[in-house]
Amino acid sequence: MIKALKTEFLKTKRRYILLTVLAITAIEIIWFTYGDLSDDVIAQGWLMLLYQTPIVNAIIHPFLCCTVASRLCDIEHKGLMFKQLSCIYDRGALFDAKLLFGMMFITLSILIQFAAMIVYGAVCGFGRTFPLSYYGMQILFTIAITGAVYLVQHILSITIKNQAIPFVIGVLGTFAGLFSMFLPQLPWLRKIILWGYYGEMMFIGNNWSRETRINDFYMMGVSWSGFITLIIFIVVIYIIGKKLFISKEV
Amino acid sequence: MNEIVKTYGLTKTYGDTTVVNNLDLNVAQERIYGFLGPNGAGKSTTLKMLLGLVKPSKGEIDIFGKRFNSKNRISILKNIGSLIETPSYYGHLTAKENLEILRILLDAPKSNIEKVLSIVRLDNQHNKKVSAFSLGMKQRLGLASAMLAFPKLLILDEPTNGLDPAGIQEMRELIRSLPKEYGMTVVVSSHLLSEIDQMADDVGIIANGKLKFQNSLAVLHEMHKSENLEDIFLELTGKDVSL
Repeated sequence: MIKALKTEFLKTKRRYILLTVLAITAIEIIWFTYGDLSDDVIAQGWLMLLYQTPIVNAIIHPFLCCTVASRLCDIEHKGLMFKQLSCIYDRGALFDAKLLFGMMFITLSILIQFAAMIVYGAVCGFGRTFPLSYYGMQILFTIAITGAVYLVQHILSITIKNQAIPFVIGVLGTFAGLFSMFLPQLPWLRKIILWGYYGEMMFIGNNWSRETRINDFYMMGVSWSGFITLIIFIVVIYIIGKKLFISKEV
Repeated sequence: MNEIVKTYGLTKTYGDTTVVNNLDLNVAQERIYGFLGPNGAGKSTTLKMLLGLVKPSKGEIDIFGKRFNSKNRISILKNIGSLIETPSYYGHLTAKENLEILRILLDAPKSNIEKVLSIVRLDNQHNKKVSAFSLGMKQRLGLASAMLAFPKLLILDEPTNGLDPAGIQEMRELIRSLPKEYGMTVVVSSHLLSEIDQMADDVGIIANGKLKFQNSLAVLHEMHKSENLEDIFLELTGKDVSL
Protein backbone atom coordinates (compact mmCIF):
# COMPACT_ATOMS: atom_id res chain seq x y z
CA MET A 1 0.00 0.00 0.00
CA ILE A 2 2.85 2.40 0.79
CA LYS A 3 4.35 1.69 -2.64
CA ALA A 4 1.04 2.32 -4.36
CA LEU A 5 0.46 5.55 -2.40
CA LYS A 6 3.96 6.73 -3.34
CA THR A 7 3.19 6.11 -7.02
CA GLU A 8 -0.14 7.95 -6.67
CA PHE A 9 1.81 10.94 -5.39
CA LEU A 10 4.28 10.74 -8.31
CA LYS A 11 1.44 10.51 -10.83
CA THR A 12 0.04 13.88 -9.74
CA LYS A 13 3.18 15.82 -10.75
CA ARG A 14 2.20 18.82 -12.92
CA ARG A 15 -1.52 18.15 -12.35
CA TYR A 16 -1.96 20.86 -9.68
CA ILE A 17 -4.52 18.81 -7.77
CA LEU A 18 -3.49 20.21 -4.38
CA LEU A 19 -3.73 23.74 -5.78
CA THR A 20 -7.24 23.00 -7.08
CA VAL A 21 -8.29 21.61 -3.69
CA LEU A 22 -6.91 24.66 -1.88
CA ALA A 23 -8.68 27.00 -4.32
CA ILE A 24 -12.05 25.27 -3.78
CA THR A 25 -11.48 25.32 0.00
CA ALA A 26 -10.65 29.03 -0.17
CA ILE A 27 -13.93 29.71 -2.03
CA GLU A 28 -15.83 27.87 0.69
CA ILE A 29 -14.07 29.81 3.46
CA ILE A 30 -14.82 33.11 1.73
CA TRP A 31 -18.46 32.03 1.38
CA PHE A 32 -19.08 31.35 5.07
CA THR A 33 -17.02 34.27 6.32
CA TYR A 34 -18.49 36.86 3.94
CA GLY A 35 -20.88 39.48 5.25
CA ASP A 36 -21.56 41.56 8.36
CA LEU A 37 -22.47 39.87 11.58
CA SER A 38 -25.18 41.24 13.86
CA ASP A 39 -24.72 41.26 17.64
CA ASP A 40 -27.00 38.29 18.21
CA VAL A 41 -25.05 36.26 15.66
CA ILE A 42 -21.68 37.17 17.21
CA ALA A 43 -23.03 36.18 20.62
CA GLN A 44 -23.88 32.75 19.23
CA GLY A 45 -21.19 32.70 16.54
CA TRP A 46 -19.83 29.24 17.22
CA LEU A 47 -23.30 27.70 16.83
CA MET A 48 -24.03 29.92 13.83
CA LEU A 49 -21.08 28.42 11.98
CA LEU A 50 -22.20 24.89 12.84
CA TYR A 51 -25.65 25.75 11.46
CA GLN A 52 -24.34 27.35 8.27
CA THR A 53 -21.50 25.08 7.20
CA PRO A 54 -23.52 21.90 6.43
CA ILE A 55 -25.55 23.89 3.90
CA VAL A 56 -22.41 25.33 2.32
CA ASN A 57 -20.73 21.89 2.46
CA ALA A 58 -23.71 20.31 0.70
CA ILE A 59 -22.95 22.50 -2.32
CA ILE A 60 -19.16 22.77 -2.29
CA HIS A 61 -18.01 19.34 -1.08
CA PRO A 62 -19.70 17.25 -3.81
CA PHE A 63 -18.05 19.54 -6.36
CA LEU A 64 -14.71 19.05 -4.58
CA CYS A 65 -15.21 15.26 -4.59
CA CYS A 66 -16.14 15.24 -8.27
CA THR A 67 -13.09 17.28 -9.19
CA VAL A 68 -10.54 15.30 -7.18
CA ALA A 69 -11.88 11.86 -8.18
CA SER A 70 -12.03 12.85 -11.83
CA ARG A 71 -8.51 14.34 -11.86
CA LEU A 72 -7.00 11.28 -10.17
CA CYS A 73 -8.74 8.73 -12.40
CA ASP A 74 -8.57 10.58 -15.69
CA ILE A 75 -4.76 10.38 -15.76
CA GLU A 76 -5.12 6.58 -15.87
CA HIS A 77 -7.91 6.52 -18.48
CA LYS A 78 -6.19 9.04 -20.79
CA GLY A 79 -3.03 6.95 -21.07
CA LEU A 80 -4.77 3.55 -20.93
CA MET A 81 -2.71 2.88 -17.82
CA PHE A 82 -5.16 0.49 -16.13
CA LYS A 83 -4.21 -2.05 -18.79
CA GLN A 84 -0.56 -1.80 -17.77
CA LEU A 85 -1.08 -1.41 -14.04
CA SER A 86 -3.44 -4.41 -13.88
CA CYS A 87 -0.57 -6.57 -15.11
CA ILE A 88 1.83 -5.58 -12.34
CA TYR A 89 -0.34 -4.77 -9.34
CA ASP A 90 -3.46 -6.12 -7.69
CA ARG A 91 -6.52 -4.24 -8.97
CA GLY A 92 -8.11 -4.21 -5.54
CA ALA A 93 -5.02 -2.61 -4.06
CA LEU A 94 -4.97 -0.05 -6.91
CA PHE A 95 -8.58 0.85 -6.13
CA ASP A 96 -7.82 1.26 -2.43
CA ALA A 97 -4.62 3.27 -2.95
CA LYS A 98 -6.32 5.74 -5.28
CA LEU A 99 -9.31 6.04 -2.92
CA LEU A 100 -7.08 6.63 0.10
CA PHE A 101 -4.96 9.17 -1.77
CA GLY A 102 -8.04 11.09 -2.86
CA MET A 103 -9.46 10.99 0.68
CA MET A 104 -6.25 12.60 1.93
CA PHE A 105 -7.06 15.68 -0.20
CA ILE A 106 -10.67 15.67 0.99
CA THR A 107 -9.70 15.35 4.65
CA LEU A 108 -7.11 18.10 4.27
CA SER A 109 -9.74 20.42 2.79
CA ILE A 110 -12.14 19.71 5.67
CA LEU A 111 -9.47 20.26 8.32
CA ILE A 112 -8.41 23.57 6.71
CA GLN A 113 -12.06 24.61 6.58
CA PHE A 114 -12.58 23.95 10.28
CA ALA A 115 -9.28 25.57 11.21
CA ALA A 116 -10.40 28.66 9.28
CA MET A 117 -13.75 28.60 11.09
CA ILE A 118 -12.01 28.58 14.47
CA VAL A 119 -9.63 31.38 13.51
CA TYR A 120 -12.55 33.38 12.09
CA GLY A 121 -14.53 32.91 15.29
CA ALA A 122 -11.60 33.96 17.45
CA VAL A 123 -10.93 37.06 15.32
CA CYS A 124 -14.63 38.08 15.33
CA GLY A 125 -14.80 37.57 19.09
CA PHE A 126 -17.57 34.99 19.14
CA GLY A 127 -19.27 34.79 22.51
CA ARG A 128 -19.44 31.88 24.95
CA THR A 129 -16.86 29.14 25.25
CA PHE A 130 -15.75 27.27 22.19
CA PRO A 131 -17.95 24.12 21.99
CA LEU A 132 -15.15 21.62 21.36
CA SER A 133 -17.34 18.50 21.46
CA TYR A 134 -19.79 19.99 18.91
CA TYR A 135 -16.95 20.88 16.54
CA GLY A 136 -15.41 17.45 17.05
CA MET A 137 -18.72 15.83 16.05
CA GLN A 138 -19.15 18.15 13.09
CA ILE A 139 -15.67 17.31 11.79
CA LEU A 140 -16.41 13.59 12.18
CA PHE A 141 -19.78 13.86 10.40
CA THR A 142 -18.39 16.05 7.63
CA ILE A 143 -15.52 13.63 6.93
CA ALA A 144 -17.95 10.68 6.95
CA ILE A 145 -20.53 12.30 4.64
CA THR A 146 -18.01 13.82 2.26
CA GLY A 147 -16.07 10.55 2.36
CA ALA A 148 -19.21 8.69 1.30
CA VAL A 149 -19.81 11.13 -1.56
CA TYR A 150 -16.15 10.86 -2.56
CA LEU A 151 -16.39 7.07 -2.54
CA VAL A 152 -19.27 7.22 -5.04
CA GLN A 153 -17.42 9.69 -7.26
CA HIS A 154 -14.27 7.56 -7.04
CA ILE A 155 -16.14 4.41 -8.11
CA LEU A 156 -17.79 6.25 -11.00
CA SER A 157 -14.57 7.92 -12.16
CA ILE A 158 -12.42 4.79 -11.90
CA THR A 159 -14.88 2.55 -13.77
CA ILE A 160 -16.18 4.98 -16.41
CA LYS A 161 -13.74 6.39 -18.95
CA ASN A 162 -15.86 9.42 -19.90
CA GLN A 163 -15.54 11.74 -16.90
CA ALA A 164 -18.59 13.76 -17.93
CA ILE A 165 -20.83 10.95 -16.65
CA PRO A 166 -19.56 10.99 -13.03
CA PHE A 167 -19.70 14.79 -13.15
CA VAL A 168 -23.37 14.82 -14.20
CA ILE A 169 -24.25 12.21 -11.56
CA GLY A 170 -22.42 14.32 -8.96
CA VAL A 171 -24.36 17.44 -9.95
CA LEU A 172 -27.68 15.56 -9.89
CA GLY A 173 -26.80 14.10 -6.49
CA THR A 174 -25.98 17.58 -5.15
CA PHE A 175 -29.32 18.96 -6.30
CA ALA A 176 -31.17 15.94 -4.90
CA GLY A 177 -29.39 16.38 -1.56
CA LEU A 178 -30.22 20.10 -1.39
CA PHE A 179 -33.82 19.37 -2.37
CA SER A 180 -34.13 16.83 0.44
CA MET A 181 -32.72 19.35 2.95
CA PHE A 182 -35.49 21.82 2.15
CA LEU A 183 -38.26 19.26 2.69
CA PRO A 184 -38.24 18.68 6.47
CA GLN A 185 -41.71 17.16 6.18
CA LEU A 186 -40.11 14.22 4.36
CA PRO A 187 -37.26 13.26 6.71
CA TRP A 188 -36.89 9.78 5.13
CA LEU A 189 -35.78 11.45 1.87
CA ARG A 190 -32.55 12.72 3.45
CA LYS A 191 -31.79 9.18 4.67
CA ILE A 192 -32.00 7.54 1.24
CA ILE A 193 -30.11 10.18 -0.75
CA LEU A 194 -26.42 10.11 0.12
CA TRP A 195 -25.98 13.83 -0.57
CA GLY A 196 -28.92 14.48 1.79
CA TYR A 197 -26.86 13.41 4.78
CA TYR A 198 -25.43 16.92 5.05
CA GLY A 199 -28.94 17.81 6.22
CA GLU A 200 -29.61 14.60 8.10
CA MET A 201 -26.53 15.08 10.30
CA MET A 202 -27.19 18.78 11.05
CA PHE A 203 -27.62 19.10 14.80
CA ILE A 204 -27.90 22.88 15.19
CA GLY A 205 -31.23 24.52 14.43
CA ASN A 206 -32.20 28.20 14.21
CA ASN A 207 -35.28 29.88 15.59
CA TRP A 208 -35.30 33.01 13.51
CA SER A 209 -37.98 35.51 14.50
CA ARG A 210 -39.53 37.47 11.62
CA GLU A 211 -40.66 40.20 14.01
CA THR A 212 -37.47 40.75 15.98
CA ARG A 213 -35.13 39.47 13.22
CA ILE A 214 -33.07 37.79 15.90
CA ASN A 215 -31.38 34.40 15.38
CA ASP A 216 -31.53 31.85 18.16
CA PHE A 217 -29.32 28.83 17.46
CA TYR A 218 -29.95 25.71 19.50
CA MET A 219 -28.92 22.08 19.77
CA MET A 220 -31.47 19.86 17.97
CA GLY A 221 -29.95 16.51 18.84
CA VAL A 222 -27.79 14.18 16.78
CA SER A 223 -29.29 11.62 14.43
CA TRP A 224 -27.18 8.65 15.50
CA SER A 225 -29.45 6.30 13.54
CA GLY A 226 -28.64 8.44 10.51
CA PHE A 227 -24.92 8.15 11.22
CA ILE A 228 -25.13 4.36 11.55
CA THR A 229 -27.13 4.16 8.30
CA LEU A 230 -24.46 6.28 6.61
CA ILE A 231 -21.68 3.94 7.80
CA ILE A 232 -23.64 0.95 6.47
CA PHE A 233 -24.07 2.78 3.14
CA ILE A 234 -20.30 3.40 3.00
CA VAL A 235 -19.43 -0.25 3.66
CA VAL A 236 -21.95 -1.61 1.12
CA ILE A 237 -21.01 0.91 -1.60
CA TYR A 238 -17.29 0.21 -1.03
CA ILE A 239 -17.73 -3.56 -1.35
CA ILE A 240 -19.91 -3.31 -4.48
CA GLY A 241 -17.76 -0.62 -6.10
CA LYS A 242 -14.48 -2.43 -5.50
CA LYS A 243 -15.92 -5.70 -6.83
CA LEU A 244 -17.18 -3.86 -9.93
CA PHE A 245 -13.73 -2.45 -10.65
CA ILE A 246 -11.88 -5.73 -9.98
CA SER A 247 -14.18 -7.78 -12.21
CA LYS A 248 -14.21 -5.26 -15.07
CA GLU A 249 -12.39 -6.62 -18.10
CA VAL A 250 -9.68 -4.37 -19.52
CA MET B 1 11.72 -28.28 -24.71
CA ASN B 2 10.28 -26.65 -21.60
CA GLU B 3 6.91 -25.07 -22.17
CA ILE B 4 6.62 -21.72 -20.46
CA VAL B 5 3.01 -21.11 -21.57
CA LYS B 6 0.46 -23.83 -22.15
CA THR B 7 -3.25 -23.40 -22.69
CA TYR B 8 -5.93 -26.07 -22.64
CA GLY B 9 -9.12 -25.44 -24.61
CA LEU B 10 -8.90 -21.69 -24.07
CA THR B 11 -12.19 -20.12 -25.13
CA LYS B 12 -13.74 -16.66 -24.93
CA THR B 13 -17.32 -15.92 -25.80
CA TYR B 14 -19.08 -12.55 -25.82
CA GLY B 15 -22.81 -13.24 -25.96
CA ASP B 16 -23.35 -15.48 -29.00
CA THR B 17 -19.95 -14.73 -30.53
CA THR B 18 -16.97 -16.98 -29.85
CA VAL B 19 -13.87 -14.86 -30.44
CA VAL B 20 -11.35 -17.45 -29.20
CA ASN B 21 -12.26 -21.08 -29.71
CA ASN B 22 -10.64 -23.98 -27.92
CA LEU B 23 -7.02 -22.81 -28.18
CA ASP B 24 -4.17 -25.12 -27.15
CA LEU B 25 -1.12 -22.89 -27.23
CA ASN B 26 2.38 -24.17 -26.47
CA VAL B 27 5.12 -21.60 -26.05
CA ALA B 28 8.61 -23.03 -25.55
CA GLN B 29 11.12 -21.40 -23.24
CA GLU B 30 13.71 -18.95 -24.59
CA ARG B 31 12.22 -18.94 -28.07
CA ILE B 32 10.25 -16.37 -30.03
CA TYR B 33 6.68 -17.43 -30.64
CA GLY B 34 5.04 -15.57 -33.50
CA PHE B 35 1.29 -15.36 -33.05
CA LEU B 36 -0.03 -14.64 -36.50
CA GLY B 37 -3.53 -13.94 -37.67
CA PRO B 38 -5.70 -11.53 -39.65
CA ASN B 39 -7.45 -8.56 -38.05
CA GLY B 40 -10.15 -9.71 -35.65
CA ALA B 41 -8.81 -13.26 -35.44
CA GLY B 42 -8.62 -13.24 -31.64
CA LYS B 43 -4.90 -12.52 -31.11
CA SER B 44 -5.29 -9.61 -28.69
CA THR B 45 -8.08 -11.36 -26.79
CA THR B 46 -5.89 -14.43 -26.37
CA LEU B 47 -2.97 -12.37 -25.12
CA LYS B 48 -5.25 -10.49 -22.72
CA MET B 49 -6.44 -13.82 -21.32
CA LEU B 50 -2.82 -14.85 -20.74
CA LEU B 51 -2.40 -11.66 -18.70
CA GLY B 52 -5.67 -12.00 -16.80
CA LEU B 53 -7.05 -8.79 -18.30
CA VAL B 54 -9.93 -10.80 -19.77
CA LYS B 55 -11.51 -13.79 -18.05
CA PRO B 56 -11.70 -16.95 -20.21
CA SER B 57 -15.17 -18.42 -20.74
CA LYS B 58 -13.63 -21.89 -20.72
CA GLY B 59 -10.23 -23.55 -20.55
CA GLU B 60 -7.11 -23.33 -18.45
CA ILE B 61 -3.76 -21.58 -18.64
CA ASP B 62 -0.44 -22.78 -17.26
CA ILE B 63 2.40 -20.28 -17.02
CA PHE B 64 5.84 -21.17 -15.64
CA GLY B 65 4.39 -24.60 -14.81
CA LYS B 66 1.68 -23.13 -12.53
CA ARG B 67 -2.09 -23.06 -13.11
CA PHE B 68 -2.97 -19.37 -13.67
CA ASN B 69 -5.77 -18.16 -11.38
CA SER B 70 -6.88 -15.01 -9.55
CA LYS B 71 -4.91 -15.97 -6.42
CA ASN B 72 -1.47 -16.34 -8.02
CA ARG B 73 -2.08 -13.93 -10.88
CA ILE B 74 0.08 -11.05 -9.66
CA SER B 75 2.95 -13.25 -8.48
CA ILE B 76 3.08 -14.88 -11.94
CA LEU B 77 2.66 -11.55 -13.75
CA LYS B 78 5.65 -10.09 -11.90
CA ASN B 79 7.74 -12.27 -14.25
CA ILE B 80 5.88 -11.17 -17.37
CA GLY B 81 6.29 -7.93 -19.29
CA SER B 82 3.63 -6.88 -21.76
CA LEU B 83 2.71 -4.39 -24.45
CA ILE B 84 -0.90 -4.89 -25.51
CA GLU B 85 -2.45 -2.96 -28.39
CA THR B 86 -1.51 0.72 -27.97
CA PRO B 87 1.24 1.67 -25.51
CA SER B 88 0.19 2.90 -22.05
CA TYR B 89 1.75 6.02 -20.56
CA TYR B 90 1.20 9.15 -18.44
CA GLY B 91 1.42 11.92 -21.02
CA HIS B 92 2.10 14.66 -18.49
CA LEU B 93 5.18 12.83 -17.16
CA THR B 94 8.59 12.26 -18.76
CA ALA B 95 9.75 8.82 -19.91
CA LYS B 96 11.92 8.50 -16.81
CA GLU B 97 9.04 9.48 -14.49
CA ASN B 98 6.74 6.97 -16.21
CA LEU B 99 9.26 4.19 -15.71
CA GLU B 100 9.93 5.23 -12.10
CA ILE B 101 6.25 4.62 -11.24
CA LEU B 102 6.34 1.15 -12.77
CA ARG B 103 9.73 0.41 -11.19
CA ILE B 104 8.37 1.09 -7.70
CA LEU B 105 5.41 -1.26 -8.23
CA LEU B 106 7.66 -3.95 -9.74
CA ASP B 107 10.34 -3.58 -7.02
CA ALA B 108 12.93 -3.38 -9.79
CA PRO B 109 16.37 -1.79 -9.27
CA LYS B 110 16.70 1.91 -10.11
CA SER B 111 19.50 1.15 -12.58
CA ASN B 112 17.03 -0.75 -14.81
CA ILE B 113 15.46 2.53 -15.96
CA GLU B 114 18.64 3.75 -17.65
CA LYS B 115 19.31 0.26 -19.00
CA VAL B 116 15.93 -0.17 -20.75
CA LEU B 117 15.90 3.42 -22.05
CA SER B 118 19.29 2.73 -23.57
CA ILE B 119 18.11 -0.58 -25.09
CA VAL B 120 15.14 1.11 -26.85
CA ARG B 121 17.27 4.18 -27.69
CA LEU B 122 15.24 6.71 -25.73
CA ASP B 123 18.10 7.71 -23.43
CA ASN B 124 18.34 11.19 -24.96
CA GLN B 125 14.58 11.74 -24.58
CA HIS B 126 14.19 10.72 -20.97
CA ASN B 127 13.36 14.25 -19.75
CA LYS B 128 10.80 15.00 -22.46
CA LYS B 129 7.09 14.73 -21.62
CA VAL B 130 5.59 11.66 -23.25
CA SER B 131 2.70 13.71 -24.69
CA ALA B 132 5.32 15.27 -26.98
CA PHE B 133 6.58 11.87 -28.20
CA SER B 134 5.90 10.56 -31.68
CA LEU B 135 3.94 7.29 -31.99
CA GLY B 136 7.17 5.40 -32.62
CA MET B 137 8.74 6.85 -29.49
CA LYS B 138 5.66 5.94 -27.45
CA GLN B 139 5.91 2.42 -28.83
CA ARG B 140 9.56 2.25 -27.72
CA LEU B 141 8.58 3.51 -24.27
CA GLY B 142 5.93 0.79 -24.15
CA LEU B 143 8.59 -1.79 -24.89
CA ALA B 144 10.89 -0.27 -22.27
CA SER B 145 8.05 -0.50 -19.72
CA ALA B 146 7.49 -4.15 -20.63
CA MET B 147 11.20 -4.93 -20.21
CA LEU B 148 11.75 -2.87 -17.06
CA ALA B 149 12.01 -5.83 -14.66
CA PHE B 150 13.81 -7.95 -17.31
CA PRO B 151 11.03 -10.54 -17.10
CA LYS B 152 11.24 -14.20 -18.10
CA LEU B 153 8.34 -13.81 -20.53
CA LEU B 154 7.57 -10.89 -22.80
CA ILE B 155 4.17 -10.62 -24.49
CA LEU B 156 4.08 -8.08 -27.30
CA ASP B 157 0.95 -7.30 -29.29
CA GLU B 158 1.83 -5.73 -32.63
CA PRO B 159 5.02 -4.06 -31.31
CA THR B 160 6.00 -2.55 -34.65
CA ASN B 161 2.80 -0.49 -34.98
CA GLY B 162 3.56 3.09 -35.87
CA LEU B 163 7.25 2.50 -36.54
CA ASP B 164 9.01 3.56 -39.72
CA PRO B 165 10.97 0.91 -41.70
CA ALA B 166 14.19 1.66 -39.81
CA GLY B 167 12.30 1.43 -36.53
CA ILE B 168 10.67 -1.83 -37.56
CA GLN B 169 14.05 -3.34 -38.37
CA GLU B 170 15.48 -2.09 -35.10
CA MET B 171 12.55 -3.51 -33.13
CA ARG B 172 12.90 -6.82 -34.97
CA GLU B 173 16.63 -7.07 -34.20
CA LEU B 174 15.97 -6.17 -30.57
CA ILE B 175 13.27 -8.82 -30.19
CA ARG B 176 15.49 -11.43 -31.87
CA SER B 177 18.27 -10.67 -29.39
CA LEU B 178 16.13 -11.02 -26.26
CA PRO B 179 16.23 -14.82 -25.79
CA LYS B 180 19.99 -15.00 -26.31
CA GLU B 181 21.04 -11.87 -24.42
CA TYR B 182 18.51 -11.82 -21.59
CA GLY B 183 17.13 -15.38 -21.50
CA MET B 184 13.62 -14.07 -22.27
CA THR B 185 10.84 -15.94 -23.99
CA VAL B 186 8.91 -13.70 -26.35
CA VAL B 187 5.36 -14.05 -27.63
CA VAL B 188 4.85 -11.54 -30.41
CA SER B 189 1.59 -11.13 -32.27
CA SER B 190 1.28 -9.54 -35.65
CA HIS B 191 -0.69 -9.51 -38.83
CA LEU B 192 2.52 -8.69 -40.76
CA LEU B 193 3.67 -11.96 -42.28
CA SER B 194 7.12 -10.73 -43.25
CA GLU B 195 7.84 -9.58 -39.71
CA ILE B 196 6.97 -12.91 -38.14
CA ASP B 197 8.87 -14.72 -40.89
CA GLN B 198 12.04 -12.79 -40.02
CA MET B 199 11.61 -12.85 -36.25
CA ALA B 200 9.99 -15.99 -34.95
CA ASP B 201 11.29 -19.44 -34.12
CA ASP B 202 7.84 -20.95 -33.65
CA VAL B 203 4.55 -19.80 -35.08
CA GLY B 204 0.87 -20.14 -34.22
CA ILE B 205 -1.63 -19.10 -36.86
CA ILE B 206 -5.10 -18.13 -35.67
CA ALA B 207 -8.19 -17.30 -37.72
CA ASN B 208 -11.77 -16.78 -36.58
CA GLY B 209 -10.65 -17.69 -33.06
CA LYS B 210 -9.30 -21.12 -34.02
CA LEU B 211 -5.69 -22.24 -34.10
CA LYS B 212 -5.00 -23.32 -37.68
CA PHE B 213 -1.31 -24.17 -37.31
CA GLN B 214 1.24 -24.39 -34.50
CA ASN B 215 4.82 -25.54 -34.91
CA SER B 216 8.24 -24.18 -35.73
CA LEU B 217 8.58 -21.80 -38.67
CA ALA B 218 11.00 -24.26 -40.28
CA VAL B 219 8.31 -26.99 -40.25
CA LEU B 220 5.78 -24.58 -41.80
CA HIS B 221 8.16 -23.77 -44.64
CA GLU B 222 9.05 -27.46 -45.03
CA MET B 223 5.36 -28.46 -45.28
CA HIS B 224 4.67 -25.87 -47.93
CA LYS B 225 7.96 -25.79 -49.83
CA SER B 226 6.61 -24.45 -53.07
CA GLU B 227 4.54 -21.69 -51.54
CA ASN B 228 5.49 -18.35 -50.04
CA LEU B 229 4.31 -17.40 -46.54
CA GLU B 230 1.51 -15.22 -47.84
CA ASP B 231 -0.02 -18.08 -49.82
CA ILE B 232 0.40 -20.47 -46.88
CA PHE B 233 -1.26 -17.95 -44.59
CA LEU B 234 -4.20 -17.29 -46.93
CA GLU B 235 -4.71 -21.02 -47.41
CA LEU B 236 -4.76 -21.65 -43.66
CA THR B 237 -6.90 -18.69 -42.71
CA GLY B 238 -9.28 -18.67 -45.65
CA LYS B 239 -8.85 -16.42 -48.67
CA ASP B 240 -12.00 -14.42 -47.86
CA VAL B 241 -10.57 -13.36 -44.54
CA SER B 242 -8.77 -10.02 -44.87
CA LEU B 243 -5.19 -9.51 -43.81
